[in-house]
Amino acid sequence: MATLSINAIAENASRLGARLQESLSEHTRDLNLPRGASSEFFETTEERLKNIHHQLDSNSDREKLDAMKRLIAMISKGRNVSEFFAQVVKNVASNNLEIRKLVYIYLLRYAEQEPDLALLSINTFQKDLTDPNPLIRAMALRVLSGVKVPMIGSIVVLAIRKCSVDPSPYVRKAAALAVPKCSSLDPSHQPELISIVTKLLRDRSPLSIGSVAVAFDAICPTRLDLLHSHYRRMCRLLVDLDEWGQLMWLNLLLRYARTMLPKPSADGVGNVSSSDGDLELLVSSSESLLHSRNPAVSLAVARAIFYLSSNSRIVCAIPALVRLLDTSSEVERTVLPYLFSISCKFPTALSPHYHKFFIRSHDLRVIKLGKLRILRSILNADNHQALLKEFIHYAGDPDDTLVESSIRAIGYCARVVPECTQQALNAMMTFIQSKHDVIVTNTVLVLKSLVQRHLMNPDEQENSIPITVVSRLAYLIGDIKHPESRSCAIWLVGQYACFETIETGALHGIARWAPDVLRRTCKTFAHEDPGVKLQIINLAAKLLALNPTNTTLQLLGRYALTLGRYDQDYDVRDRTRLIVSLLVGVVPSVFGDEESDKGEDGGVILRREQVKMVLFEHKTAVESSMSEGTGGFSLATSSLVIGRVMALVQDLPEWLEQGTESSLRDTEDDVQPPVLVQATTPRSIASTSHGPTPIILTPTGGHSPAAAGSSPAPWTDLDKFYADVGEASESEDGGGDGTDDSDDDGEASSVSGGDIEGVSGDEETVAESEESIKGTSRDNSYSLV
Amino acid sequence: MDYNLARVLKPRRRPIIQSGFRSTNAAYPLLHIDTLNNALSSSTRKDDVDPVLYVPGYSSDGKQSACCHVKCGDVRILAPIRGDVDPLFAFAFIQTFIDILQDYFGTLSAATLRDHFDVVYQAKTLDSIGYPNTTSPNQLRDIVLPPSLLQKILTVTGVAGLANTNTGHGNITPFSSPIPWRKAGLRYSSNEIYFDVTEQLKAIVGPTGTLSCEVFGKIDSNPKLSGTPDLQLTFTNPDSLGDTSFHPCVRLQRWKRDKVLSFVPPDGRFTLMEYRYLPPTSKSLSAPSAQVPVPFTLKPVVTIEEDGGCFDVALTSRLSTRLFNKVVVEFYLGDGSSGVNCTASHGTSWSFDSQTSKVRWDLKNVPPSGTHSLRGSWVSSQKYPRPARAFRVKYDIAKYSYSSIKIDQLRMTGETYKPFKGFRANSKGDVDWRW
Repeated sequence: MATLSINAIAENASRLGARLQESLSEHTRDLNLPRGASSEFFETTEERLKNIHHQLDSNSDREKLDAMKRLIAMISKGRNVSEFFAQVVKNVASNNLEIRKLVYIYLLRYAEQEPDLALLSINTFQKDLTDPNPLIRAMALRVLSGVKVPMIGSIVVLAIRKCSVDPSPYVRKAAALAVPKCSSLDPSHQPELISIVTKLLRDRSPLSIGSVAVAFDAICPTRLDLLHSHYRRMCRLLVDLDEWGQLMWLNLLLRYARTMLPKPSADGVGNVSSSDGDLELLVSSSESLLHSRNPAVSLAVARAIFYLSSNSRIVCAIPALVRLLDTSSEVERTVLPYLFSISCKFPTALSPHYHKFFIRSHDLRVIKLGKLRILRSILNADNHQALLKEFIHYAGDPDDTLVESSIRAIGYCARVVPECTQQALNAMMTFIQSKHDVIVTNTVLVLKSLVQRHLMNPDEQENSIPITVVSRLAYLIGDIKHPESRSCAIWLVGQYACFETIETGALHGIARWAPDVLRRTCKTFAHEDPGVKLQIINLAAKLLALNPTNTTLQLLGRYALTLGRYDQDYDVRDRTRLIVSLLVGVVPSVFGDEESDKGEDGGVILRREQVKMVLFEHKTAVESSMSEGTGGFSLATSSLVIGRVMALVQDLPEWLEQGTESSLRDTEDDVQPPVLVQATTPRSIASTSHGPTPIILTPTGGHSPAAAGSSPAPWTDLDKFYADVGEASESEDGGGDGTDDSDDDGEASSVSGGDIEGVSGDEETVAESEESIKGTSRDNSYSLV
Repeated sequence: MDYNLARVLKPRRRPIIQSGFRSTNAAYPLLHIDTLNNALSSSTRKDDVDPVLYVPGYSSDGKQSACCHVKCGDVRILAPIRGDVDPLFAFAFIQTFIDILQDYFGTLSAATLRDHFDVVYQAKTLDSIGYPNTTSPNQLRDIVLPPSLLQKILTVTGVAGLANTNTGHGNITPFSSPIPWRKAGLRYSSNEIYFDVTEQLKAIVGPTGTLSCEVFGKIDSNPKLSGTPDLQLTFTNPDSLGDTSFHPCVRLQRWKRDKVLSFVPPDGRFTLMEYRYLPPTSKSLSAPSAQVPVPFTLKPVVTIEEDGGCFDVALTSRLSTRLFNKVVVEFYLGDGSSGVNCTASHGTSWSFDSQTSKVRWDLKNVPPSGTHSLRGSWVSSQKYPRPARAFRVKYDIAKYSYSSIKIDQLRMTGETYKPFKGFRANSKGDVDWRW
């Protein structure tokens, strides 16, 4: 025997030695390389591809690992390597964890195409589910549920059920994450999966409960009633979850609150007068998460506060959101639309932070526009000076879209804050002389709507301002090149030619500058854009209607109309014909050719007042709706960021008018466990922490559970009834543990990281296990076990 | 699942690594890559692309998809989202992913990714159905072994195949530590903890004065401490730290009550907190008057003529004792600019990038109250060129902090040894100086 074993050892030793030598020589070049060796896997030629077959069949783990790495490299290059499937599956039970991991990756990718071969590997996974190492158990479940072979649906359900009560939170987490995959594999398992999720919801470990929300969202997003008994616990547990779990639960709890809790009734000012205790609990316990380093969490909190509570509360969340602007340009780009959406609802919330939204020259274009939009929305009487200066600055930006928006914003300033109208107009007057078309065009367009608005409201005293604007435009008509702005300017001249009250020129009733504009534009008529030509015809008609007697004007008008009559563009010709027949009653001899007019007689001839009415009146200013809304998208959605509908179903439910019974949310946790009545230290913690203390296993004074404990609330089911009765009797004798059986597995599993002895019933140990739960939290009562 | 996170890493517009998608067809990732490539090639200014791109044409169930992308080094990381998912979720995930990769590989570049693609694939366990799985570096290290030199040598010598994987993995249990961010049973021969404070000044300066100026700080730490130490960190001026955000290990209640940072640190590099510096005179947010002074002055003169223009910039340091490092001034000249000709003062250099139309002026070091100048002209294909309205100035100042933040004391309970403590402050700046 001894010699045999010595022989075996010697043989092994020599084999190891040979192996060492072989691999040393083979791999020393890798060591010489400054970087790792994996990059060579990317340069796989056809020959090496054939070699992979051999490598996979070889006995050496190293060869297999090498082959697997090569395969994975090819998968990532987008190459189809499903031909190796059979050989890869054989390695699924390899002892080498490294190989197995790569085999799993491969399997997940190709199992769908080779369901029969994939079935061969199922046994291994099932065996792995009982492995002592939780890592392997979780990995097996992950692959098992990831293999897209519908046949194994029921096996997967069994596996998930098994893992959902696993002592390791890591495995339970994997079980929760496997649930959605299983349901997409075979939807017929829905009822079983729901029961698993219900069980998982009782999980007490903050490590695994986060992913239960994912399972819940995937399986039964509408079964919010399942959350009744977990609502308060989850609110308090929020702080302890990992960041992704916080995100999922925040959204889930928000949905729950909107559906199940009574709507906070707001008084006239917008302050919430009566707020539900449970609602308050959610808002206050999530508030501390605003300090999270994960921007998505901060936003989710802000979203919850925005949709659950009052104006004053959202103001507290604003600094946290504004802080996000400085993290990275991507985050900045995403947060800006959200902030805009908030500022549309509460314009005052952002105004103290206005200088945060000043545009920097190297910002991305979307960010520039987003900032400008916000600056405009928070404009008010206090900050208009600074903002107007900014807008004027942005008008010189190299980006045309920004120029356009900022000039419009200047117009908006002038409209909303009357004190700065003059300043805005001055700025725009200098813009008109700019050498850049885009500035001039947009300025004229904005000026037009501004002038119109002012003149339409006769009660405003400073009517002279718009008229000076029009006269300036008239003088500068030669500089305004862009067709749209040119026609706009000409229209303004014609429309407001009669408003100049001072009688200076020879022409009665017409401003001094108006006929000159007609003269100058007639000279360039042939080269004008059709739109401009139409406006020249209009201008001629208006001036003739205002003063039909002046011969010079008549000649000028006739010239313009003649040009229009024989123009190439039929719109212009039509318009001229219309205008000419309109003017018959005012200036009978527009063209001097009486006979044609006489010939087509028979129509109605309008008097001069009527013509003026037709030409001038009812030109109401069209409110250019510059304040593009948020489109009704809710906060923290991609729809809001992108500006189009991304999903047909809106995530956020409407408030329920009444809300559900608060006693539904009562749990054994909320009613004071009798053990703690005697233990003094936890009591003191509970009584001092009123605010958003994250982990409290005893109730915080003011909430309903205490009330429910004293006056028996309507029971929802038998369990509740018995639980209440049990509590009442136990609190009298003051001993024993008040937790019922259904909680025990959850309790035990949560402590598994530390010690599992919570069931012994002793007062001391229960208190201790609670200490250790608290140990994982960020609470001030953290103590090291 | 609505958030179908996947990532495609690609430098030079070719994907390196794609993650497999669940419940989507094969064209899905390609569609996103194409959308991004189109956006990149159609953008007028280099890299000026919307980080959230709408991807048209993929809607099987009324859910539209979009593509979030982040540039990091020479690779871009993409994360498609579908339906009404918060893009911040995607960005937060990408950031975490980048952090993890940097933690594992040191730097993130196409080359390192190619080298360690198998690790990236294993690290991919962090999203199984589009939900981030394990992202805490300490937990992940239990599951996916980081490539280390030691491990490489072991693999190379061949013993490793047995030694490392069998024994190494055998006793690893995930989530074994009661504190999620810290591994259990750590041992270091020399216990040390370093704090790195980096403060960045972001300002916009107009011709009439400073328009906005803020300082953001970040405290990084790299503790190498045995056991489970419980640290309490107090600052000399905690009231000047506003808008704070913390690593999950920090107990918020303590900070709120006593302004004391009380935490059990994770193992290895992490960001302890971020803050905004509130200058002592103005505690309110709305008063931009009392600000941190911008530590230099720039005298820009830009003249625009027909078909070109010229500029003249002079930068003067206002620091009395310290040195400016890595000072860079950038100026965008407008589309179609060319023929740039500059004279830079001694010791500085300039360059012009025709792709971005930007002039870049490298000053390297600027001594206390030293002055440098750059004078130049350019030709433009546009008749009236429109350059940017501001110069961008970036700089570093070593061993300096705007807030003069100081650690008052660092107390440790829970362990008996005395750790070595270190503290260091650095400052940066990013100023938009308008002309």
